[in-house]
Amino acid sequence: MTVKIITDSLGDIPPEAVEELGITVIPINVIFGRINYRDGVDLTTEQFYDKLAAGKVFPTTIVPSLGRYADAYNEVAEETGDILVITNSRRLSASYETALLAKERMSKKCRVEVIDSLSAVMGQGLIVMAAARVAKEGAKLDKVLELTRQNIPRAHARMAFDTLEYLRRGGRIGKARTFLGTVLKVSPILGIRNGEVYPFAREHSRARAIDYLYEFADGFTKIEGIGVEDATTPDEADELTQQLKVRFPDGPIYRSKVNPAVGAHVGPRVLGVAVLGDRD
Amino acid sequence: MAEARAISGKDLREMFIAATGWLEKSAADVDALNVFPVPDGDTGTNMLLTMRSSVEESYQAAANSASGVARAMAKGALIGARGNSGVILSQIWNGMAQGLDGKDKVTGADLVTALLKASKTAYNGLSNPVEGTILTVMREAAAAAEKHAAEVSNDLISVMEATVDAARESVANTPTLLQVLKDAGVVDAGGQGLYTILEGALHYLKGETEQLKLRRPWMVASSIPLTTRAPQMVGAMDEVPYGYCTNFVIKGVELNPEKLRKRLEKKGLSVIVIGDDSAVRVHIHTLDPGEIMHYVNPLGTLHQINIRNMDEQYRDFLEMQKERMPEVDTAIVAVVAGEGLSQVFASLGATIIVPGGQTMNPSTKELLQAVEAVPSEKVIILPNNKNIVLTAEQVHSLTKKKINVVPTKTIPQGVAALLAFDYEADLETNAVNMYKAQSEVRSIEITRAVRATRLGRLDIKKNQAIGFLDGDLVAVADKVDEVLNQALERVDPEKAEVVTIYCGADTKPAEAEQVAAAIRERYPQLQVEVVQGGQPHYNYIASVE
Repeated sequence: MTVKIITDSLGDIPPEAVEELGITVIPINVIFGRINYRDGVDLTTEQFYDKLAAGKVFPTTIVPSLGRYADAYNEVAEETGDILVITNSRRLSASYETALLAKERMSKKCRVEVIDSLSAVMGQGLIVMAAARVAKEGAKLDKVLELTRQNIPRAHARMAFDTLEYLRRGGRIGKARTFLGTVLKVSPILGIRNGEVYPFAREHSRARAIDYLYEFADGFTKIEGIGVEDATTPDEADELTQQLKVRFPDGPIYRSKVNPAVGAHVGPRVLGVAVLGDRD
Repeated sequence: MAEARAISGKDLREMFIAATGWLEKSAADVDALNVFPVPDGDTGTNMLLTMRSSVEESYQAAANSASGVARAMAKGALIGARGNSGVILSQIWNGMAQGLDGKDKVTGADLVTALLKASKTAYNGLSNPVEGTILTVMREAAAAAEKHAAEVSNDLISVMEATVDAARESVANTPTLLQVLKDAGVVDAGGQGLYTILEGALHYLKGETEQLKLRRPWMVASSIPLTTRAPQMVGAMDEVPYGYCTNFVIKGVELNPEKLRKRLEKKGLSVIVIGDDSAVRVHIHTLDPGEIMHYVNPLGTLHQINIRNMDEQYRDFLEMQKERMPEVDTAIVAVVAGEGLSQVFASLGATIIVPGGQTMNPSTKELLQAVEAVPSEKVIILPNNKNIVLTAEQVHSLTKKKINVVPTKTIPQGVAALLAFDYEADLETNAVNMYKAQSEVRSIEITRAVRATRLGRLDIKKNQAIGFLDGDLVAVADKVDEVLNQALERVDPEKAEVVTIYCGADTKPAEAEQVAAAIRERYPQLQVEVVQGGQPHYNYIASVE
């Protein structure tokens, strides 16, 4: 029986890849005022940023209930007896705890393993896609689990920001709080390290920030996957993707969008690159 | 329009049980926010214990009305209050109970009344209320609740949401109000604790029990940067004794808390005296707790006496802080003059700023003190002036710490070097990268000639504006902006991306904006930014990248 992969929508996996690899994505709830949207289901990235620009309300996010996770497990268990759940970092949300506890709530008999990707955005996405790919090729659950464990420290994500205000408000700023309140106009580059938002660099202009993202990916010698994602600047992301395709002609390079649940915490104009690979 | 949603006394109790549980999850994180010499080493724990006592007492309520439960909670808080913040929290409950007096249920409008009363009461009982603390957070949260109810909705949940939002922003803003917080780069611990309680209450109201169980409260991040200033302070602080944090309750008759406070204020610091004629809670920091006990003993019976050695607390606190510091393996000491420039360097991650520059070169000793004060064994020094590079290099032989001087000769070079600092890299790699970055920036400095002279081909009259490019005199004119333009023309501005202009202490911001506008017009591709540098001596410093 094929191992099935479940993850949450913070992984920003492109819809085509979700479809192709048969991944089940549990949408995180995005709350605008009193209205609850399911990330990527009731609300697209474009709609989200339109609302963000239009309103004064700051969106928040909430991990779906235990019941919602258990339902998803039961549904997937119709097709398989082996499920691997890969969540975003437990230092960023309650997904991991919820996913773990939901195991006890499910009614169907099925083996469910839950693993914390210690990442988010396309860093998480690349880990999930790699697991789904080997699962699709017929690997057993233990094998998929083992490979995923090995992949977690090989996934790296960097994002260029215009403002850290959203991260600060949402409380997810982690060690990048050292970058707050910069007097000069700079583009901070943040990433995820040990499951937490971490400050990596500051560039003095947007152009340099984009160069940084390119050079970050360029520093890898072995690539298993690259993800490029934008929030509101598709042209920048497209151009960066083209440059990376020249550097890594064998790819694979995935072009994705920041989901609303991520957008609620990072704000507009973020541009991200994630790499699953090795530097030496 | 107004919804008539209201909660009973029982709900009120449940709500604060939930809020206490929520606070418990982050009590240790709140403890870690404490800054000395702001009193009390364990704000989170103290607030938690106060809340627990409050909630326990609420079960003893004579009536299950909102009013009855609130009164019991206030009593429990008074009896169980610990520490500065706990005592203030008990005052907040006291005010809440007064605000809810006679109410069977709590509506949004009642909540507003109670919060406003709580805010007012919190300020009473303190001889010297300090802004940027739990007091400010309470006051701003209550004000936001009032405004929201008047202008948007007086629905209970809606009011509570506005209260929690305002509390969070108020907490983030505390470092701008209180210098000790700013210096330590943290938000106020008591404010964070209060915000967490309110947020827990909101989760309960919204029925988010699963969230309460699974999630943890987020710590509010400061809205301003974190840097230590003035290294000399760090050395001096080590010797200050803190004495004993002394807490007790007196029960008796005709206790007169007002009079007692006045007496105790002469005997110690951080004095808080609250209560009524029959029961009074006292919090005081003193070098001689025996004297205090001796003084109050005849007034009535003493209860819940708790005396803690604050020097011990401080040591434990320092140990705890070490574990919680961001892993800054390498510290940065920068020499900077001017308030604005200091902020620029602070906000870019300089660990310590030593005041100094062209007209006041710091001594080797001052630099050494700064190096010794930073909590790191590896230190990079940015002298930011050619006359200070050599002084900085002397520090090598005077300390056991590993020192690397990146020989920045100007402020723009210092900024460029700092921007290149990589939190992940080791000392050597950082030094190499920072050296490279600072050598790629061009620096323009504009000042006025102090006397007539002749330099190279340039004749200079006294008081004329003169411009330096990377330390070399390149331009002379009567007007400052002319010199800036002449200097700028020498650096190929068509090929540059960013020009940052730091205006000096004597330069008017409006004039600087004009200069910037003129540059933007001439070179539209340039990103031109004006920053208040506030530096002495130089009218303008500009970096071209």
